[in-house]
Amino acid sequence: MFASSDFEREVAPILEAKCMACHDAEHRKGGLSLAMRADALRGGRSGDAAIVAKDANASALILAIERDGDDEPSMPKGKPPLPAKDVEVLRRWIDDGALWPEGRVLVDRSAQFEFEKRRDWWSLKPIAKPSPPGAAANPIDAFVAKALAENGLEPSPLADRRKLIRRVTYDLTGLPPTPEEIDAFLANAAPDAYERLVDRLLASPRSGERFARAWLDLVHYGETHGYDKDKPRENAWPYRDYVIASFHADKPYARFVAEQIAGDALYPGDPDALVATGFIAAGPWDFVGHVELREGTTDKAITRSLDRDDMVMNAMSTFASATVHCARCHDHKFDAITQQDYYSLQAVFAGVERADRAFDADPRIGERRRQLLAERAALERRSDEASAHLGYHSEIFASADTSQEIVLDLGSSLPIERILLVPAHEVYGGWPGPGFGFPVRFDVAFAESRDFANARIVVDHTHADLPNPGDRPFVIEGDGRPARYVRVRATRLWQRTGDYALALGELVVDSGGVDRARTATVTATTSIEAAPRWALANLTDGTTFSGTLSDAPGSVKRWLAAIDEHERIDRELAALPAPRKVFAAAPHFDPVGAFTPPPGPRPIHVLARGDVNQPREEAQPGALRAVRELPSQFVSDASQVSSDESSRRAALAAWLTDSRNPLVWRSIVNRVWQWHFGRGLVDTASDFGHLGALPSHPELLDFLATWFLEHDGSLKQLHRLIVTSETYRRASFASEAARSQDAENRLLSHAPRLRLDAEQIRDALLAISGRLDLRMGGPSDRQFGFKDDHSPVYDYEAFDVDSALGQRRSIYRFLVRSVPDPLMECLDCPDASLLTPKRNVTITALQALAMLNDPFVLAQCRHLADRVLRESGGDLDRALRRAFLLALGREPDSEELAAFAAHARQYGLPAACRVLVNLDEFVFID
Amino acid sequence: MNQTHPSRRRFLETMAGGFGSLFLSDLLAREGAASLPTPRPEWNGGLHHRAKARRVVQLFMSGAASHVDTFDYKPKLLALDGKPFDPGEKVELFQSDPGACMASPWKFRPAGECGKYVSDLVPHLREHVDQIAFVHSMVSKSNVHGPATFLQGTGFVLPGFPSMGSWVSYALGRITDDLPTFVVLPDSRGFAPNGPANWGAGFLPAMHQGTMIRPNARTPIADLFPPAANPEIGNRGNEDATLALLAARNREHAATRPGDSRLDARIESYELAARLQLSAPQVLDLEDETPATRALYGLDEPATADFGRSCLVARRLLERGVRFVQLWSGADNGFPRRNWDSHEDLARDHATMALGMDRPAAALLTDLTARGLLDDTIVMWVTEFGRMPCSQGGKGRDHDPFGFTVWLAGGGIRGGVSYGATDEFGYKAVDQPTNNYDVHATVLHLLGIDHEKLTFRNNGIDRRLTDVHGHVLNELLA
Repeated sequence: MFASSDFEREVAPILEAKCMACHDAEHRKGGLSLAMRADALRGGRSGDAAIVAKDANASALILAIERDGDDEPSMPKGKPPLPAKDVEVLRRWIDDGALWPEGRVLVDRSAQFEFEKRRDWWSLKPIAKPSPPGAAANPIDAFVAKALAENGLEPSPLADRRKLIRRVTYDLTGLPPTPEEIDAFLANAAPDAYERLVDRLLASPRSGERFARAWLDLVHYGETHGYDKDKPRENAWPYRDYVIASFHADKPYARFVAEQIAGDALYPGDPDALVATGFIAAGPWDFVGHVELREGTTDKAITRSLDRDDMVMNAMSTFASATVHCARCHDHKFDAITQQDYYSLQAVFAGVERADRAFDADPRIGERRRQLLAERAALERRSDEASAHLGYHSEIFASADTSQEIVLDLGSSLPIERILLVPAHEVYGGWPGPGFGFPVRFDVAFAESRDFANARIVVDHTHADLPNPGDRPFVIEGDGRPARYVRVRATRLWQRTGDYALALGELVVDSGGVDRARTATVTATTSIEAAPRWALANLTDGTTFSGTLSDAPGSVKRWLAAIDEHERIDRELAALPAPRKVFAAAPHFDPVGAFTPPPGPRPIHVLARGDVNQPREEAQPGALRAVRELPSQFVSDASQVSSDESSRRAALAAWLTDSRNPLVWRSIVNRVWQWHFGRGLVDTASDFGHLGALPSHPELLDFLATWFLEHDGSLKQLHRLIVTSETYRRASFASEAARSQDAENRLLSHAPRLRLDAEQIRDALLAISGRLDLRMGGPSDRQFGFKDDHSPVYDYEAFDVDSALGQRRSIYRFLVRSVPDPLMECLDCPDASLLTPKRNVTITALQALAMLNDPFVLAQCRHLADRVLRESGGDLDRALRRAFLLALGREPDSEELAAFAAHARQYGLPAACRVLVNLDEFVFID
Repeated sequence: MNQTHPSRRRFLETMAGGFGSLFLSDLLAREGAASLPTPRPEWNGGLHHRAKARRVVQLFMSGAASHVDTFDYKPKLLALDGKPFDPGEKVELFQSDPGACMASPWKFRPAGECGKYVSDLVPHLREHVDQIAFVHSMVSKSNVHGPATFLQGTGFVLPGFPSMGSWVSYALGRITDDLPTFVVLPDSRGFAPNGPANWGAGFLPAMHQGTMIRPNARTPIADLFPPAANPEIGNRGNEDATLALLAARNREHAATRPGDSRLDARIESYELAARLQLSAPQVLDLEDETPATRALYGLDEPATADFGRSCLVARRLLERGVRFVQLWSGADNGFPRRNWDSHEDLARDHATMALGMDRPAAALLTDLTARGLLDDTIVMWVTEFGRMPCSQGGKGRDHDPFGFTVWLAGGGIRGGVSYGATDEFGYKAVDQPTNNYDVHATVLHLLGIDHEKLTFRNNGIDRRLTDVHGHVLNELLA
């Protein structure tokens, strides 16, 4: 017999997963609700009871879900039929009397059930710790051998040493081995000669450059904004150098990830960690949308939403191989990623924009700068009391050129050393603060008589506008003679918004170190007299908005000391080296046009259909619910949400780098595998979801992830493990059996024959021509003519390929998004606006033309010819042998030598070199 | 030579669908992308159904050409000239606050059997109204040039997506092996917003990107020949010997590496390159065009010579088997204005742009018709959005993404049609609001392609030119 508990355990899950999406109390498709027992007994518009207790055969529900001969069941509409065992459960339940606990209302849980089904997926399961299946010097080979054996395939023999050094040198450094390096390796009889070679290559900065390029593809790093008005980013390159340096230093992967998401928050004062957040800003940026579109418009909201979308997509594709961006308009169609998850991730980045951030490359200088800025802030610290005695404020005038006078009667003639005009500081009502109301033009006069008949003008600033002094007291030296009356006359007033006024915080008259203004009689042309804040009496009361100077009755020392202190701090700041800048994630920055810093994290709402005009509930920072091992909401309730945006990014960094995160560690070891074999164990390196590929060697993938975690996330050790395996060292020759049974070489019976990528081709040409300049880092080389304009112009034809800017490694090229370098683009260098986990490899006629005719390629042919001729003492055959060694890593055979020599004799050695670099053998590495 | 190298012959035999298709299928297999059938001869080259057209020429008016001054006649604007602009809702503009209604500086006159009113700004195109299907109810998702240009060209407001020409190349492949499948002729004054990213292949293989030809430039096609500055190599006499030596060595290399079709493909790519070297200069050499043809395109008038040359070259490309030609009228957003973005002075700046475009574009229609090419060539006249019926600063017009006009003509298109409508001001699409997805779906439909089935898997999504939208505009079809 069915009991209540059976209903909950067996029946309700079926109905709530499969029926209630249409037949809940709200939707009632066909008039039928299955929410309550009474509804089900009544049935829908057809008039038939959905459930007839104790008679399943008469229940419309059963008739609808049961197969009738060859006919598919009519329900669930548009979905696969219920499994037979589910139908059987419902039958038994009805035949038993359709027990339905009193008051139990069924609701639609199809989404939850669907979510759970999708969550049951290889990449979301905890990483296993498989042992290598069998003994092998390198555990990788044990896994690969097992799969080969299961498929009856023999591995190819190992590659010969000459091929091996060429392969591994290109692979680990992006450059060809020199003839000398080849000779040394061939001559090295030590049993660990290959391991030593690998160590040497991995220790080279060239290796950092090589893998940094792959990383920059992944994160769509570019050095212009993209779109219309594709402005250069002057300060993107420090991020590129950060990636190179991180790889070269073998920074633990967890730290590398965390720094890129939240380095500024996690490691304050560490310049590298701040530069790392260039990751968040790496992608394209809509200049017009951010800078020119007005606040409050729909297009502005769209611009911001899409900008955040790019940040989320970059972070989750790169680190987690998750296609979260597919859940912007609706829940992910295939994966366990909800729209809520997606907007939680948008909320993580809601407090940053992409902008230049200043930093000190030397942490000690950074520390000193922070100290000085703190001292200055303390000096300028303001009371925020709205009742403070601010100072004096004139009436408000429509014209700037309105004369306003303040006159002090000191009571008797006194020697005056100096006058201080202390600016007012007003923030109440949205005013910016420093220098409020300070006159733009003025003069100061001393006199003995009230009518200023024989006035001495001690300072005259009435002919040109003065820069606003901000919070600094403005000092006027006396003329050494006594005076009874002092007059400050403004001739051009400070602009408020649409009108003008004069305001001063304090007026100090220094006579022998005593402030005589405190006892003077003060008059002014006008005064708004809005006590306690603004009053004429406040001008000489010894107080301003500042708390620092208020407690020195009658003494001017404190005023003067403050000025000295200001000057000292400014001097010291000016003496520090200018801070550097990096284009990175920025919570604060200098506003440009309509592009202004967010006041804090902007509220992020779940957007129905991704439409900014259809906001639903507010999203709180978080990540993927599907990863059960980790908290997906970064705060437990909305009231805890911090206004400190960086804590949100820090939380995401912690989520990503947790050793229990099943996605991140699989993702990176798979990428490294791809960098060496041309394809990952999972072919879709940035998509571990249901639409992605399945791992070809799932156990090997998990083994590597575990191994990598155990080795502190050391990428260099992982590279070493992979390239010292026999699997990596096999010949690229495919046996007949391998070609027929495993044409795609998924089982890795032989090594892949990879084509050099665009950067490798360009760098190799420079290396063999002898022109390669190995200087690292710094601003990128602009290999184009540039004209800054409304829309900047980038002209590659105007560049001299032999100029100094054309000789460094390709990773130091300045990357323009809208106008890519034609040669590099042609060789499949990807669009810098696209996340590129794996490059396309195409073979086209335009590539052939570029390799034959591009000015850069031909220049290197000429230099190569000059070089080998020089190095061979002018002997053509020897020169050609040398050119073959440089370009192909081998000597020509006699037939080849004869053919190339004939060509060289007839058309010149450069023409023969041109054929050499166009060979398949030059670009396809065995 | 061919007889002695069976591998190459076998290779050529496998290429029934043209050079591109071999790599397409190879790539599809490797990327796991949804499989795409090859164009079927019995479907007139269609992929999913019979094709009505085989070629496309897309004329892109960059900067946003005004609909209310060209093809969308609004008599009400004449009556309201100088009166407040009040469409009954808050108007959100790109740069400015709405000024008064501004009548078009150009008079509209009826033309053709359909009696369509078209303005004096485009008198030559006016003569073709019976061949043209106008879509007056276009709407753009973006009010900003860059994203909106991407939207019309690639179906997405973001950079990085394949252009329409790339999709068509990917879907249908080559008609000829002598010329690229997708050719782009930029405005001779410079690149439109987004630059060459407008004709990029995005995530599609690079072979599908637009090949840029600049008929008026010193080197119309980059790297077609060695630069003159390389005397040792620039000597054209060595080309044959170079290619022969290269082919011989490459074949030997490939022979010892069986099963790697890429090596054969690379050998073939050099032969294709040689063919391109022969055929491309012929396309650009206009000497064999008659004086009447040259005059038709306005080559002898400075105002029309630039775009006229582009249009004439476009015709020569199309008749030689180029699948998709994109022509740009309008360069960057700089000053003095060299595109259609007439914020400051519409009468002055639109007059210049239209003078350069109108006669050559009309000539292209006339010429394609006369040669029978228009029967299976679609001509698209598009722009990223329209311009407001109210004034900006008294003489200019700001952006109008809420309603604007594009038009189609040629293979499979019904002429003399006006589809959809803006309101009485020309401010907003009110009847049959239409977007780029529908126009793209319609053109793909005529090419024998179901826009929902033309997909490519990228970053976890089966991407389409039409995103998740698009309906074929049946009212435009013949």
